[in-house]
Amino acid sequence: MNRLYGTSLLVALTGSIGCATTLPPQDLVMARGAYDRASKGPAPVHDPANLHAAKEQLDVAEASFVENGDTQDTRDQAYLAIRKAELSEVVARTRQSNQAKDVVVSDMHADQKEAVAHTSAELGRTKAQVTTQGAALATQGAALQDEKARREDAEKRASKAAADLAAFATVKQEPRGMVITLSGSVLFASAKWDLLPAAQVKLNEVADALIKEDPLSKMVVEGHTDSQGSVPYNQDLSQKRAQVVRDYLVTRGIASDRITAQGFGPSRSIADNKSPEGRANNRRVEIVVQPGTGR
Amino acid sequence: MNKSIASIIIGAPLLWGACGASFPPPTQRMADAQAAERSARELGANNIPAAQLSLKLAQEQIADAKQAITAGENQRADSLLIRARADAELAVARTREMTARVDGQEAVADSNAQATTNVGQGAVK
Repeated sequence: MNRLYGTSLLVALTGSIGCATTLPPQDLVMARGAYDRASKGPAPVHDPANLHAAKEQLDVAEASFVENGDTQDTRDQAYLAIRKAELSEVVARTRQSNQAKDVVVSDMHADQKEAVAHTSAELGRTKAQVTTQGAALATQGAALQDEKARREDAEKRASKAAADLAAFATVKQEPRGMVITLSGSVLFASAKWDLLPAAQVKLNEVADALIKEDPLSKMVVEGHTDSQGSVPYNQDLSQKRAQVVRDYLVTRGIASDRITAQGFGPSRSIADNKSPEGRANNRRVEIVVQPGTGR
Repeated sequence: MNKSIASIIIGAPLLWGACGASFPPPTQRMADAQAAERSARELGANNIPAAQLSLKLAQEQIADAKQAITAGENQRADSLLIRARADAELAVARTREMTARVDGQEAVADSNAQATTNVGQGAVK
């Protein structure tokens, strides 16, 4: 009886030794490789906890193999050891990726912050420039407004002067030149040849216009009368009147060698001497500007 | 001495048999494995080639475990569910790794684009 038990014990032990010497199951070989690979990768630094768990699981599988041989349990434990080793590798790589990404993102944010600071500094400078320019523009605008007002004022005065001038002088282009006709009644009192004060003002404008518009042409001041009274008297009067106007224009700045005076009496009437209106039109002084004559 | 050793040798198979018969259905393990498998699926493991195999292994072993439970092999089912959970967790980790890698690439691309924009706008010293 004792012997029988002894024999079965021997058989059992032999069987056990036989198991230990059998080749390890493929899963266990793979588990050893998986752990070896994981322990040489980023896992020891980035996921030591799962790597440690993988080691413990591998130890369980190894112990199971030593104790029980190539059993389903050994293979299950080895299978788990493979998964845990892989898990530690994957988690470690994931953490590496996340860290790298965090570095990129934080660098990017730092760069962005710097760029924003730089841009906002530039914006500040630009704003200051714009403000300065705006002030300058406002000043310019005000100056322009003043200038415009002055010009409008000058234009108003000029057009008033032109209207005033037109009221007492008419300008015509004729073959003999530009003829400015001045009404005699505005210039002189009846039978007199000294200029009325109002006439002087008007002649000032005529002189200014002649100097400004045509400073070189020669001109002739012609005196004309109506047909009332004797011809010699009218001839003399027209000559005196032409001379007075000519002399006055010289005092206003027209070169004396440009301008001469001539009386025509009633000989060149432009209207009917039978009506008062006609006679008024005939009493006149004409300034004939001869273009190109001074060049 | 011989007697005690003998009783262990004789007793062991009896004890084994008792365990097998009384092993309860692994409901908790089933719940754990299914939860891990669901997580992997919800994270999109099906769309990540590196995670697909792990997810598939988990799903197959869960199915095998259900059959084992039906067949009364609760202990075998228990082992299968432990393996299934390990595979599902690996699928989750692989999916997260791919997400992190894509995020990292996007961050690098964003960073480059930002740097180009900054240079383009003269927003660098």
